[in-house]
Amino acid sequence: MEDCASSDEDYYYSSDRESLDGLENEDSDFQWASSRGPSTKVITKESLLAAQREDLRRVMEMLSIREHHARTLLIHYRWDVEKLLAVLVEKGKTDLFAEAGVSVVESEDTGMAVSSSSTAMCEICIEELPTDKMTKMDCGHVFCNDCWTEHFIVKINEGQSRRIRCMAHKCNAICDEAVVRNLVGIKHPDLAEKFDRFLLESYIEDNRMVKWCPSTPHCGNAIRVEDDEFCEVECSCGAQFCFSCLSEAHSPCSCIMWEHWTKKCRDESETVNWITVHTKPCPKCHKPVEKNGGCNLVSCICGQAFCWLCGGATGRDHTWSRIAGHSCGRYKEDREKKTERAKRDLYRYMHYHNRYKAHTDSFKLESKLKETILEKVSISEERESRLRDFSWVTNGLYRLFRSRRVLSYSYPFAFYMFGDEIFKDEMTNEERDIKQHLFEDQQQQLEANVEKLSKFLEEPFDQYADDKVMEIRMQVINLSVITDTLCKKMYECIENDLLGSLQGNTHNIAPYKSKGIEKASELAVCRNSKASTTTDKCLPSDCGTSGKRDRPFSFGSSDDGGCPSQKRAKESYGGGFFDLNLPAEL
Amino acid sequence: MIDFARVQKELQECSKEIDTSGIRVSPKSDNLARLTGIIPGPLGTPYEGGSFEIDITLPDGYPFEPPKMKFVTKVWHPNISSQSGAICLDILKDQWSPALTLKTALLSVQALLSAPEPDDPQDAVVAQQYLREYQTFVGTARYWTESFAKASSLGVEEKVQRLVEMGFADSLVRSTLEAVGGDENLALEKLLSS
Repeated sequence: MEDCASSDEDYYYSSDRESLDGLENEDSDFQWASSRGPSTKVITKESLLAAQREDLRRVMEMLSIREHHARTLLIHYRWDVEKLLAVLVEKGKTDLFAEAGVSVVESEDTGMAVSSSSTAMCEICIEELPTDKMTKMDCGHVFCNDCWTEHFIVKINEGQSRRIRCMAHKCNAICDEAVVRNLVGIKHPDLAEKFDRFLLESYIEDNRMVKWCPSTPHCGNAIRVEDDEFCEVECSCGAQFCFSCLSEAHSPCSCIMWEHWTKKCRDESETVNWITVHTKPCPKCHKPVEKNGGCNLVSCICGQAFCWLCGGATGRDHTWSRIAGHSCGRYKEDREKKTERAKRDLYRYMHYHNRYKAHTDSFKLESKLKETILEKVSISEERESRLRDFSWVTNGLYRLFRSRRVLSYSYPFAFYMFGDEIFKDEMTNEERDIKQHLFEDQQQQLEANVEKLSKFLEEPFDQYADDKVMEIRMQVINLSVITDTLCKKMYECIENDLLGSLQGNTHNIAPYKSKGIEKASELAVCRNSKASTTTDKCLPSDCGTSGKRDRPFSFGSSDDGGCPSQKRAKESYGGGFFDLNLPAEL
Repeated sequence: MIDFARVQKELQECSKEIDTSGIRVSPKSDNLARLTGIIPGPLGTPYEGGSFEIDITLPDGYPFEPPKMKFVTKVWHPNISSQSGAICLDILKDQWSPALTLKTALLSVQALLSAPEPDDPQDAVVAQQYLREYQTFVGTARYWTESFAKASSLGVEEKVQRLVEMGFADSLVRSTLEAVGGDENLALEKLLSS
């Protein structure tokens, strides 16, 4: 029992980043080496290029094309190699290339043999120019270098670096990135740098499976997932988040539910509800008025008197039986119903919110408890006793954290699952009742066991005798296994019986992971390239014609104005040599 | 900065071909960034016989950014706003290429007059009419051409006045004129026969 639990937990011991780093790295390496390894990767500034290269190389080899063509293809297909291959199989190479704007000139002279004469007419500026001042693109169109440069600058500034098309009308070809880099670099080196950054970051920006870590201040990393976008990940900076919506990890809530919930908790909708229930608007100044006692003739601070029963304006004179010039004996069912409903909704929300809040608070308190408990562990370890191994404590603690988390997010889930806001017409009332009971049963079981686990972990076991400690140990280990199983069961129920039975289900949740949120591992980069990322060696250079770069490639780009793309973290901090925080987009 | 040398050349080129294309481009003042284009209504369309004035503003990045064009002459067309004269044409937006010129752009506008695209409308009212009541559309378009795009022909008001003087009701005269596309004689015939 113990063994199975602890081996299961060892790795996660390591999510305690502050204190146990060295120890865990070994542990985790071992863990992952045995399986396929975590599919989630951290892409750092150093490994971004390598990550992009992997895909580029695959496509280059498969289609035997040059790097910039491969990049154009991949940008067009949003770095989805599988999709690209599917199109290749389905439509063939020619169509694949044409759609993406790749024109591979085969065996034709790509040199500067623009025409036999030494001068030619540029159709853009309508000038006769020497051919050595002109450039021919892969598609065969020739224009003068000045015009090309202007065109590139306009496009880069428009934020279209990833797909700069040829200047000729209706020509769909994407310009050779090496030509762009060279020509723009002569006039505006900073803009050429920006262009390179756009190409590099396209791997993050255009890629469905890669997203910037949402940490603030931004750590500069991006996370790549495999297979499934609906998961929760932990960046190497420690930030845990839902990969799909980039907010805090919220499973088993779906992203939509979570968005609703945070909005509901944040804005004043519930205050508004309270006002509806407890106040009436003054008929003159329309401020909400709360009745704090007395008879039904209420006067607002603006001086207007009105009838509390019907809300209508009245005169100020009144007797016990009637208000001057006013009578409203008629029962208004509608209004009553509305108030009733608002009251019920408010209480319902409060029920779920209180429990959600309670578990979140417990989670926070227990996180603080961690230090005390670890202290107890070290005290116990120093004691002369036959008990040497205290891993059950930390394992139990992490099990507690994870279960607590599941529990607290299960409340907003239930609020929406069994409420009217999102799934109004999805279930009949009977169905809803049955499902709600089923779910609440599981929730309660989990809750009870989590509380028990919490209680045992808080015991001052460092002061107990061995026998007692052994007893607690058994309990903790038992409860750890039970809560894990219960969490699993609850997820099964959610996935199969609740969300799974919905029609046109758009609610995907990150699956339950016994080990907690997956910690993304660093993407392996060959050691030597790490040092050279910032030099020309690793540039998205072109093996072909004029693409030799002669400038170092740095990310401390000076200009960064305007709309940061949506994928970017909202805030960023400046500085840094290679700073992915700076919005590259114009 | 606008490539004024190129604009100059474009203007010269354009004036040479005025007889074949019928398209005129002339600067508004001595500033070449503001120009006026004139296109003849294409033959065989409700715009035939009209001459349409287009206001052209060149952005700083011209020719690497598209020129801004809008109709000054009021025109009834699904892809042109009947209110503002704004034109919905791809080459004036994302499909612009520096290889295009003012003349080719104006030719495209002219082509748009002969081949409306009601599925991608600028003016929803006109587009609806085009799709549902094509004949009414043709009538209205012709009437607008008569009324606004023909400087030489008599003004509509004068025609209305003359017909009213013959004893027809003002509103009837106007609707009949619109239905026959502004032709005074046709309108009279129709009024007499009804």
